[in-house]
Amino acid sequence: MKRQIPLDVIDNGSNSLYVSERKVYPRDVSGPLQNLRIAAVVWLLGMFYVFPWLRWDGRQAVLFDLPARKFHVFGLTFWPQDFLFLALLLIIAALALFFFTALAGRLWCGYACPQTVWTEVFLWMERWTEGDRHKRMKLDAAPWSRDKLLRKGAKHALWLVFALWTGFTFVGFFTPITDLSARLVPFAWGGWETFWVLFYALATWGNAGFLREQVCKYMCPYARFQSAMFDRNTLIIAYDPMRGEPRGPRQRGLGSVLERGRGLLDKVRAYEFVYRAGGHAAAGDAMAQARAEAGLSTDAAFTASLGQPLQRPAPEVAGDCIDCTMCVQVCPTGIDIRNGLQYDCIACGACIDACDDVMLKMGYPKGLIRYSTQNAIDGKPTRVLRPRILVYGTILLLLVVGWSWGVGGRSELIAEVLRDRNALYRTAGDGRIENVYTLKLINKTDRAQSYRVEIESGAGIALAGGPQVVQTEAQQVLSLPLVVTAPASTRGRQALSFRIDSTDGTSSETVDSSFFGPLQ
Amino acid sequence: MSDFTTPQFDHPPRPMAQRVGAILWPSFFAAGVATMVFFAFVDPLALRDMTFPELAVSRELGYTIGFFAFWSATAASSLFTWLLLRPASRFNRALPPD
Repeated sequence: MKRQIPLDVIDNGSNSLYVSERKVYPRDVSGPLQNLRIAAVVWLLGMFYVFPWLRWDGRQAVLFDLPARKFHVFGLTFWPQDFLFLALLLIIAALALFFFTALAGRLWCGYACPQTVWTEVFLWMERWTEGDRHKRMKLDAAPWSRDKLLRKGAKHALWLVFALWTGFTFVGFFTPITDLSARLVPFAWGGWETFWVLFYALATWGNAGFLREQVCKYMCPYARFQSAMFDRNTLIIAYDPMRGEPRGPRQRGLGSVLERGRGLLDKVRAYEFVYRAGGHAAAGDAMAQARAEAGLSTDAAFTASLGQPLQRPAPEVAGDCIDCTMCVQVCPTGIDIRNGLQYDCIACGACIDACDDVMLKMGYPKGLIRYSTQNAIDGKPTRVLRPRILVYGTILLLLVVGWSWGVGGRSELIAEVLRDRNALYRTAGDGRIENVYTLKLINKTDRAQSYRVEIESGAGIALAGGPQVVQTEAQQVLSLPLVVTAPASTRGRQALSFRIDSTDGTSSETVDSSFFGPLQ
Repeated sequence: MSDFTTPQFDHPPRPMAQRVGAILWPSFFAAGVATMVFFAFVDPLALRDMTFPELAVSRELGYTIGFFAFWSATAASSLFTWLLLRPASRFNRALPPD
């Protein structure tokens, strides 16, 4: 029989419905992918914490000014009327997610998702105060002592300060952050500002400190959709069972499968070894698939034979996996990547760094676990340019171009006309018919503007007092009551349009509306 | 190490009527309640004048749009819940052959 590894694999075959969640203690890992992850953390959190402090044209560079109903993003200002661009931006984001997922797997989860990024930082703080994996496990198991209290207290103090700073920064995107910080001492925040700082801090503390991988496993819909975006040419984190199996300890000095000339196992045997080692549903599926491809059935007799232990393989048959379980210990979601592609894998690559390190120590070639495609693992050619990639890529490109063109070419003037709801019409002293409107003008430019307002209509309908010239401040929303008069003979509904031209000739708008007179 | 000889409990797929019903019915109910409460305080005509005054939306059409808008939101939420409660084995499968 195989030697039992004194390790509690978190994964329990992955299909039990009611399990109490066991805490995952990710082991510290270093390597090129971890460095990439740290770089992503610094860059993304850097943007989050620094952006509110940047200035642009005398205002905060990135400010979502909800009271004024204006979003400032560097040189651009978005108005409620630009909602379409926000919707389009979300569609672009979703499509970009499809594109990059089909191409290179869950890059988003491993490097860019706020959940991953903040969890990483919270883990750093946990390591500074409580030590690495085995120390943390020991500390949690130990009875309360002065040392435990100090370490746990220090961890939570660090977490809390960082979470509060995060909440403060978040609110700083909506309230000018320099003003917010000036009102900290003496404390003069508004009720809602205080609430959102605390609420966001609480969410950060809970998500990054406690929930962690459970958010990915139980709350994230993206993970559940991965199979819709993945195919055999998608870059995934993959263990090579043909090279690694049968796994297990070996005598010192035994060379790698290549050096020994054992080479790669056939798929049927390799996947059977994987399934026997863990009994995981994904591994079972891969085994059945390999057998079907080889023309073998996975019938009841075969399933029963899986219950019988195999004879221990001869030492010279051993694969390159030494079953050190480093890949499991470093995994932030606590899975065993050797079982194959799982929805719980956030593709952070920690197992690659850990395994490469072990292979280096064993004197074996790197890459037993590697970024690869299923086709490459199965010894088939990988096709990067495939219809799915081309379709996603083309639509994405079109949308990005269209969006940029649309944002760049937005009208600098918005005009809306509302009829007075109280009276359809009124009759003036001289018998003329009058209608009342409210003209809403929005000057979206960053300078004062004047506009000329006039009526275009064939039926002698005109503004009372003739065309008007209106002054607006920069980015001002102006409501202007307008009285329109028509000859006393006007009957029923008449079409008219308001024409608004900026006096410098840069923008103009025409708004259609109706004029009502007496029916008879 | 898990013992692969004892199969793990894995809920078999439920009948289609149960799946669809469990998504559409609670969301329908919630949408009905939300519609009643919402329109008890908000007149659809007032809402129209605030948003799309140029469209000829009657009260009846306003109630209808409101109900289906609520239902699509609540049904989307129910669908999301169903997706998250599906057992892992429905997702952890080998990639299909090319």
